[in-house]
Amino acid sequence: MDKRTSESAKSLKKNPPKPAKKEEVLQGNEACAKGALYAGCRFFAGYPITPSTEIIEMMSSEMQKCGGAFIQMEDEIGSACAIIGARWGGKKAMTATSGPGYTLMQEAIGFAAVTETPIVIVNVQRGGPSTGQPTMSSQQDIYQARYGSHGDYEIIVLSPSSVQEMYDFTVRAFELSEQFRTPVILLADEVIGHMREKVVLEDGSRNIKSVKQKYVVSPQADFFQGENTLVEGQLHDSMGRRIGHVPSKSGEFVNNINKKIRDHVDVIADIRTYFMDDADVAIVAYGSVVRPAINAVKLARKVEDDRLRPKLRIFRDIFRKGVQETINTDYSHLKVGLVKINTVWPFPEELLREATRDVHTVIVPEMNVGKYSREVERVLKDKTVIPMSKCGGDIHTPQEILDEILREVGVDE
Amino acid sequence: MRINVRFAGAGGQGVILASVLLAEGYGLGENYNISQTQSYGPEARGGACKAEVVISDDDIDYMKVDTADVFIALNQEGFDRYRDTVKKNAVVLVNSTLVETDDPGYYKIAATEIAEEMGKPFAVNMVMLGALTKVLPKLHYGTIEEEIRKKFSASIAGINLEAFSKGYNTMEQQLKNEKNKKVEKSWHKTAKKLN
Repeated sequence: MDKRTSESAKSLKKNPPKPAKKEEVLQGNEACAKGALYAGCRFFAGYPITPSTEIIEMMSSEMQKCGGAFIQMEDEIGSACAIIGARWGGKKAMTATSGPGYTLMQEAIGFAAVTETPIVIVNVQRGGPSTGQPTMSSQQDIYQARYGSHGDYEIIVLSPSSVQEMYDFTVRAFELSEQFRTPVILLADEVIGHMREKVVLEDGSRNIKSVKQKYVVSPQADFFQGENTLVEGQLHDSMGRRIGHVPSKSGEFVNNINKKIRDHVDVIADIRTYFMDDADVAIVAYGSVVRPAINAVKLARKVEDDRLRPKLRIFRDIFRKGVQETINTDYSHLKVGLVKINTVWPFPEELLREATRDVHTVIVPEMNVGKYSREVERVLKDKTVIPMSKCGGDIHTPQEILDEILREVGVDE
Repeated sequence: MRINVRFAGAGGQGVILASVLLAEGYGLGENYNISQTQSYGPEARGGACKAEVVISDDDIDYMKVDTADVFIALNQEGFDRYRDTVKKNAVVLVNSTLVETDDPGYYKIAATEIAEEMGKPFAVNMVMLGALTKVLPKLHYGTIEEEIRKKFSASIAGINLEAFSKGYNTMEQQLKNEKNKKVEKSWHKTAKKLN
């Protein structure tokens, strides 16, 4: 193992948790609800749907304790509209759903985009189309999250790949939505939503500041603050007056609500790189697939092998024979790295180009027919981009990703 | 170091709850990294259900289980489906009321029978968890007991703890007969060769 690789390995270790903070075993969905309450969310409207129901369950019991309001709505259209209204009334608001419900919310998402209303919508993806696979995982909504509603708008979408990130990214979603006055989507999937891991929780609650005017097109005051506030779904000027009949002004408005996000990708975009220093081949992944992808990279680099001997004697005695199945093939000459994308939309073009500058091949594993790989292809025109699609509800295994790497670099198994 | 644990059974048998308590036992009681996942159908009861726990002293990258170090089967369907994806010399516990197997290397706990004798058939998962607590290293009776008391109201916790201790004692008894089992095991190997 060369020095640089070992440094990369060190960077993978999480910072040790500070003792003052609480550590709990939580489900991804529960962590999301706790993150929202910490971020100051004081209104939740939702309609239960697997696999996001636990968020609604926790909100129904915890929201009141925080002095907020919870409503179970008649459907997802109502839920999305209710949180828009709640935000106008001055409360930070969130709803949570899965694929079929998320489809119903599209009209309201466009409305929130054009009225520049900061809201947070959680989509814990399941298999589709339609009712599909209620209890199985997918990443099929990656385009719907970006292009779901009609008209031209930009949107911010975050994709967590651990329970801790489910908590952290929910808080981040509220920050970004207030900063840019835009709907922010937390695009999780069933694996992350239902998984339980240890989470470090922040104490107390945080007051995220409402508006930083520099990014906003038509600044609005909250209702009931003593100012006249005009809310308009038609294209409007900064005073809220209709301009739909004036092409020049309308064009300017549409460009501006797109530009406020597109021109500030550097503020929003967030990627993480692992073992990329000397990599020839890169895996680009988001959401839960990041986890087997990291494992595959480590197997290839032989940094850590789960199948190597255990370190603790007490376990070794019992599991001695079971863990002797070490892999004999040495792939340590393979220079493989991973790019983990945290903000899937807006697409982090510059960061990805920079991170993959020296690689010749990019593999994109995802739990859909291969959608995000097209976006990667668009940006990395000079590289070989290999989509690695998997449908049916199961997440990729590390071995599958490793096999794909071996196939691409031409190593005989 | 990484230990893969897999529970398999039917929806309604408490498969997931047992795995959550195990994960909390190692995660909070012993400060290991843990990751608990599950897979089940859309039915509320019945249908195949699987829960997996990964225990590690390092970061857990891949959170699912491919081959198991520890396997707990609560019904025949789950046993049949996953019996081939356990490692050699894995610790295997079966609910012997519902699972038919003649492999002498497996720990057999009549969990459904014990739970039904108590008049609480739903406590079958607690019986199995009790037995598991006895056989796994670094998993303490007190830790799980505390988690159960935290999770349930006093009356339900009482029932669960009774079932839990019954499973624990049954396994204790079986481990005492371990000596006889070794004889059986070698006999089993010989029998295989003859075939």
